[in-house]
Formats: sequence, structure tokens, C-alpha cells
Amino acid sequence: MALSKVRTNLGVVLVVAVVIATLASCSSDKAKQAGHPSYVTSGQFTTAHPNMSDTLKDYFDVYPTHVQQPIAFTHKMHLEHGMQCTDCHKGVAEGPDATIPNVQLCMTCHQVIATDKPEIKKVAAYQKEGEEIPWRRVNWFYQSAHVKFYHSPHIRAGIDCAACHGDMRQETTAVRKAGLDMGFCLNCHKKYKAPTDCMTCHY
Amino acid sequence: MKRQWGMVIDLDRCTGCEACVVACHAENNLATVGRDGAARGRTMHWMRVERYWEGEFPEVRLRFQPVLCQQCGDAPCESVCPVYATYHNPEGLNAQVYNRCIGTRYCGNACPYNARVFNFFNPVWDKPLDLQLNPDVSVRSVGIMEKCTFCIQRIKQVEIRSQESKQPIADGEIQPACVQSCPANAMVFGDLDDPKSKVSQLARSNRATRLLREVGAQPNVIYLRSVS
Repeated sequence: MALSKVRTNLGVVLVVAVVIATLASCSSDKAKQAGHPSYVTSGQFTTAHPNMSDTLKDYFDVYPTHVQQPIAFTHKMHLEHGMQCTDCHKGVAEGPDATIPNVQLCMTCHQVIATDKPEIKKVAAYQKEGEEIPWRRVNWFYQSAHVKFYHSPHIRAGIDCAACHGDMRQETTAVRKAGLDMGFCLNCHKKYKAPTDCMTCHY
Repeated sequence: MKRQWGMVIDLDRCTGCEACVVACHAENNLATVGRDGAARGRTMHWMRVERYWEGEFPEVRLRFQPVLCQQCGDAPCESVCPVYATYHNPEGLNAQVYNRCIGTRYCGNACPYNARVFNFFNPVWDKPLDLQLNPDVSVRSVGIMEKCTFCIQRIKQVEIRSQESKQPIADGEIQPACVQSCPANAMVFGDLDDPKSKVSQLARSNRATRLLREVGAQPNVIYLRSVS
């Protein structure tokens, strides 16, 4: 019963969305014909969403959980060998971003460790080309969320990385574990008596 | 610790160079609307420099007045928002929550200082200007009202840094982009609740005045101006 209701709602939203998209594309065509200056329409659906499918994903809070990475990096193995999160994600205690290490840092160890593995050879190839590994983002927010997240205050407050990122000792490449919606953030903020003023995150 | 952010603008120092306006555009990812848009009154400035001529020729004097959101204590924009997108934060800032805004523009109409601007279009930056956007500030999209935030991203950064180093925030450590760029040092930003801060000392000056005081919005921007 509940499921069918959700489906009906979904259907209605989809129909409305398609109608709006059609209208929007018509009006932008008209704007072009009327010779309006370029700033009137950006040629994209919105600044936040390049197309309708991204809009729907944003509306329903659909984020990809598993992202195909250029290298099958295994967090599990690195952590099993006694490495810490901060050995590679060095910026986490100091700024907004945890930072992803550059290829030089990988090669500091992999110059000598496991050089015969196919994935390590890929890393070495990137370094040889003078290129960075094109990692793809796993944890991020849609632009329309207008969220500015700072890692450092959370680390200072003693929040475990696993609280948001899941237990990386079980994972190979990173996956989006927590929902990371506002309810998730606020639950924790209330629990630790952290500020819940809107301007703490949204600006 | 409770704070009340405020700003003092010394009109006797202001030369009207508009460095503050340019700095604000760069810092806060403000869009430009082009000549046509400007002619329709759709400019996106969070602050502007007003120009006044005083006296009769040849005894003329040109005066400038930078006007930004006055971060009113009793803000007319807050009470008219049907979705609570604009509200008063604990530090006295008049905040705009972009996520909530549905674009009724009531706040812009209620503002006696014309300090709020509306995104009539999605902002567009010609390449490669899109690469110079400030990552600390979100890019607003069409249908959203926006306004001066007293550079909340800079306030937050200094707050986080002070929590890390366990040092209290020094007076003058936080500088919004306009204050930082002012070559005449006409603008001072700080905590009005701290009687020792430079901004509250200047606010007690006998030159202090507030814009449109009769409206009763209790602005937190104080203008200094000698009466000639």
C-alpha cells in the first residue's frame, strides 16, 4: 500500500518535472530567437543541475554509493598494515578538506613496496606521465544544498572518521556510507551540543 | 561567548573608490548582469557606493556613502519572509538561508536600504572566470534572494582557527572583504558587545549616526560623519 503510494507520488513528480523541462527549454529557445544577451540564459538547466535526471536525484537525495575509481585502491589492506587515516588524508585536522594524497605520496612507499602488482604499476605510470590520479569524489553535496563542510572542527571534537565514512577497514575503494542529509548532521550536532544555527553550515 | 557583529564606516575617510564593491564581488561570487540587466535594475551588488553633491557651484562638495546590508537588530526583512529563509542568528547577523528561499522577494521590498538582491537568472561566468569562484561561498542559482553576509565564511574560518589554537579572537582579526580592501581604512569590523573593541569605541563617537534611523530597524552598521 505504502509502496504503491510512493510510486504514484513519484509518477506525478516525474510528469510535472517533464512538463516543466519542456516549458523551460521552449522559453530558452524563445529567448535565443529574441536575441537576448547571453547572460539571460546559461544554456544549462540550472546552475545547480545540468539536466533533469540530476535534478530528480537531488530532490530524492539519491547519491551514487559505489563510484568506479581509476585504481582499485584498497583501504582495507593499508589499514591492516598499520597505517592511519591521517597518514594520507593529511589535511583533515587543519582545514575544510581531508585532502586526497597526490601521486608522489603514493610512490614514496610504492617505489619499493609491491611494485609488481598491476594496480601499483598503474600508479607508477601516472607518476611517470607527470599526471595526478583522476580520483572521483565519493562524499559530496549537490550544489543546491549550499553546504560548506569543515573537517577540522569535527576531528578536534573527537568524532571518529567512521561515524560518517563507515568502517574503512572493511572497504576497498571508498563508498558513501552515511546518508549525509541534514537529519544525519543535526542528530549528531544535537547529541554533542554543537551549534545548530543555520549559518554554521549553510552560506 | 556572545557577540554582536557590527561595522563602522567613516564617511569622512571614504574616497568613493569602490574597491569595497569589487572586493565583495570577488569574495562572494557575485554575478554581473551586463549593461542591459543593469539598466533594468537587476544588478547583484551586495554593497554600493552612493554619491551625493552638497552645496551650490562653485562651493560644491562630493560625498560618498557605501551602503551594504545594515544587519538590522529589528529587521523588516525577517518578519515578511513566509518560509523563514531570512532570520536572525545568535551573533546578530541577519542571515539568508538559500535552501529555504522560494523567491517571493518580499524581503527585498521590505528592506529600507535596498540591500537585498534577487537572482533573476542563473549566474554565468565566461571561461575561464568560472575558475576564480571562491570555494568557501556557495554559488546561488535563479530565484534566490541574496545579500551581504558580513563575509560569514571569513568569520567562520577565524572562529574555527581560534578554537584550534585556543586563543580568543583578537579585535580586528576578522575582516570582511570590503574592510580588508578599503585603502582609506574607512571601514572597521568587530564585536559591538565588547566595549574595548575598536568598532564599539568608534560607535560611541559623537560623529556616529545610523542610516534612516527613523525607520527604527536598529542597524548594526554605524556611519561616522562630521556635521559641517
